[in-house]
Amino acid sequence: MTYKSDLPVMMPPKPYEAEPFFRLEMRHVVPIAVFLIIGATMAFASDGDGKQSRMEVLMNWAPLLLKGFIFNLIISVSAMALGTAVGAILGLGQISLNRPLSAGSWFVTQFFRNAPWLVLLFFAMFLLPFEIDLFGLKIPFPDWFKAILGLSLPVMANVSEIVRAVRSLPSGQWEAAESLAYTRRQTLWLIILPQCVKRMLPPWMNLYSILTMATVLASIVGVSEVMTLTGRALSAEGGRPELLAPFYGFVLLLFFIYCYPIARFTVWLEKKFAVIN
Amino acid sequence: MKLKNIQVFAAAIVASTVGIGTASADILDTIKERGKLIVGVKADYKPYGFLDTSGAIIGIEPDLASDVAAKLGVEVEFVPVVSSNRMQFLEQGKIDLMIATMTDKPDRREVVLIPDPNYYSSGTNILSLKSLGLASWEDLRGKPVCGIQGAFYNKATSQNYGAEIVAFKGTAEAYSALKAGNCAAFVYDDSAIVAKVADPEWADYEMPLPTIDDAPWGLAVQLGEDAFGALMTDMIIDWHKTGRILELETKWGVTNTPFAKAMNEKYK
Amino acid sequence: MEFFFEWFRVLYEETGINLPFLYDSYDRNRMFNGFLTTIWLSLVCLFFSIVIGIVGAWLQGSSFKWSRRIVNGYIQLFRNTPPLVQLYFFYFAIGTLLPRVENDWGGQSPMLGSFAWAAISLSFFAGAFNVEIFRSGIEAVPKSTVEAAEALGFSKLQIYKDITLPLAFRVVLPALNNNLVNLVKTTTLAYAIAVPEMLYEANQIWSDNVNVTEMMVFLLLAYFALVGVLVGGMNRWERSMKIPGYG
Repeated sequence: MTYKSDLPVMMPPKPYEAEPFFRLEMRHVVPIAVFLIIGATMAFASDGDGKQSRMEVLMNWAPLLLKGFIFNLIISVSAMALGTAVGAILGLGQISLNRPLSAGSWFVTQFFRNAPWLVLLFFAMFLLPFEIDLFGLKIPFPDWFKAILGLSLPVMANVSEIVRAVRSLPSGQWEAAESLAYTRRQTLWLIILPQCVKRMLPPWMNLYSILTMATVLASIVGVSEVMTLTGRALSAEGGRPELLAPFYGFVLLLFFIYCYPIARFTVWLEKKFAVIN
Repeated sequence: MKLKNIQVFAAAIVASTVGIGTASADILDTIKERGKLIVGVKADYKPYGFLDTSGAIIGIEPDLASDVAAKLGVEVEFVPVVSSNRMQFLEQGKIDLMIATMTDKPDRREVVLIPDPNYYSSGTNILSLKSLGLASWEDLRGKPVCGIQGAFYNKATSQNYGAEIVAFKGTAEAYSALKAGNCAAFVYDDSAIVAKVADPEWADYEMPLPTIDDAPWGLAVQLGEDAFGALMTDMIIDWHKTGRILELETKWGVTNTPFAKAMNEKYK
Repeated sequence: MEFFFEWFRVLYEETGINLPFLYDSYDRNRMFNGFLTTIWLSLVCLFFSIVIGIVGAWLQGSSFKWSRRIVNGYIQLFRNTPPLVQLYFFYFAIGTLLPRVENDWGGQSPMLGSFAWAAISLSFFAGAFNVEIFRSGIEAVPKSTVEAAEALGFSKLQIYKDITLPLAFRVVLPALNNNLVNLVKTTTLAYAIAVPEMLYEANQIWSDNVNVTEMMVFLLLAYFALVGVLVGGMNRWERSMKIPGYG
């Protein structure tokens, strides 16, 4: 928005770019290497009474935990794809001129937006059958598939909200299209949506980040992803309390390594697609 | 007969255009056709069912399940279950057989078919610090007691003895909470506690109270699968006769329980 | 009152719709306490996350390089890791490292119980998002206004408290609204460390009574109602605080 004077009461809100925590330069490499080497030696030192040290135990279980983490990523990508597809349709339904359709879509969106993700996940896990008979063909519904369905429900609602923001495009576009005799559908597909994709991308990527972290909830309903495997690994190791910090710290590290670059990429996208008014 | 109205309604909504898979007429035929026996076992309850570093489930109960699969001439596939979903999985048909440290209770027999005789037994007891000096179940009144979500004795312990149950979803969390001092005791099966007390890690802990609710465990199959149930009855009698349960207990480091010894004597 | 509740027992026997938290007084108390705990946990986390947001946003504007960097590091860490794992880490890993105190059952407990850790962890999680939100609000206050305040002799703290924050608040409100609703939904995670909130109590009840469907439907409706009330209230507040012609 523009102001007539240069002493406005309020500036338009801009997305804030955080100062990065650490910019890696060549001169940082040597102290980091020294730190890692000393840290590793200390961590690998035995606890003293002949048992395997904590890091060794962690290294034993790390391949299994990594496999679990990749499973998390698969769940997140699938749920995102499914949720985006259905959510886009729902969002378009919300802005349609057909009253029952827009009201219905609005209600579905609000319902799934306001429900806790964990409760929706439980719902999907317990109420969906484990197998369906489609024209004589038995299609199995394994646990992780139900988790994907359960997680795609809130994604669908949030994508629908993002798509609904299409309305925030300056109305000049709609009017210009109308004056050029485009039908509503042509306007939507040829003019509005291509411009909106740029605007929708950052919140969509933000949603993906939230979804990736929400895949950990699947552990509560029993899916064999990284948190469940961590719990079982800890049980198999006899429940030693000193193992808790390394194991959970490892899981935190995995997620951080995956999600932080995505966050930086999102910020870059936002700057690239910034709409200058 | 219990009418599951809401369940039927919800299922109808979900399956409005497709049919819902129904349980086959005889599960033994399905298993043989499939070539695989799907068994639900615990994966976080050492030594009855736990993970090794490759992710495979090992323990006393997986070994028993492998025996059944060998008898049927098929492969075995393990599905990890926890107390709060083991019966649901069996009901839904997700697993054919459930051997998951489940206590045999009359209301459970209404939901799943538990063949007699029972294959194992344990009672409820607690693991607590020696220094606390707990001597009777009444001593738990008003104290926080860790438990596992879905265990049947949680309600009994809190209602009858006034303990505040703090239920976690896995044994790892419960043991760490006990070690940290978040609760005064951990209420669990005495067979697991006996194994823990022998562990030098837990030297400061004891199992002080008299074991109550000594209840046999039941493995389960779906309601209505009488042929499979009869097969399991024969298998269980065979396990007791040949001392297989005692052998597995020793293999996985559990002291031979009195129940297993008594059943071995009875069927020898 | 008892008559009302007894009707649900009849409902169970007639149709099989099992709602034990209505007809059984023990379960009813559990469920009610769970509901209160959820509300209390949400309020505590709401309050602390806003405080963390305000303090963090202020630190981000400070002239010390390291305080800016530490706040940014905190934000990146808490935004890019799952709140459930953060909760576990706080309760199990850090909780065991803290000193212990004597408690009333004769043993040694960690200083902070599960509710406290849930509140801390969730406040930090929501606070990380709030810092960014408050930051964008603070940036919406024009420099000229701040300079005018400085010229009038306001101290830095007074400027922040009396001028920046009230103006920033109106910008911040929609995004804050969204974040607070998410916080209420995220309190269900406290279930994993045995905080007796609604989902936990519902789980206990359905483990005892094997009536998962009814409990799930009830939970969905209860959370829908709770969040609906919050969203409705926040929307009304937003409308009353709206700056005409802005946004």
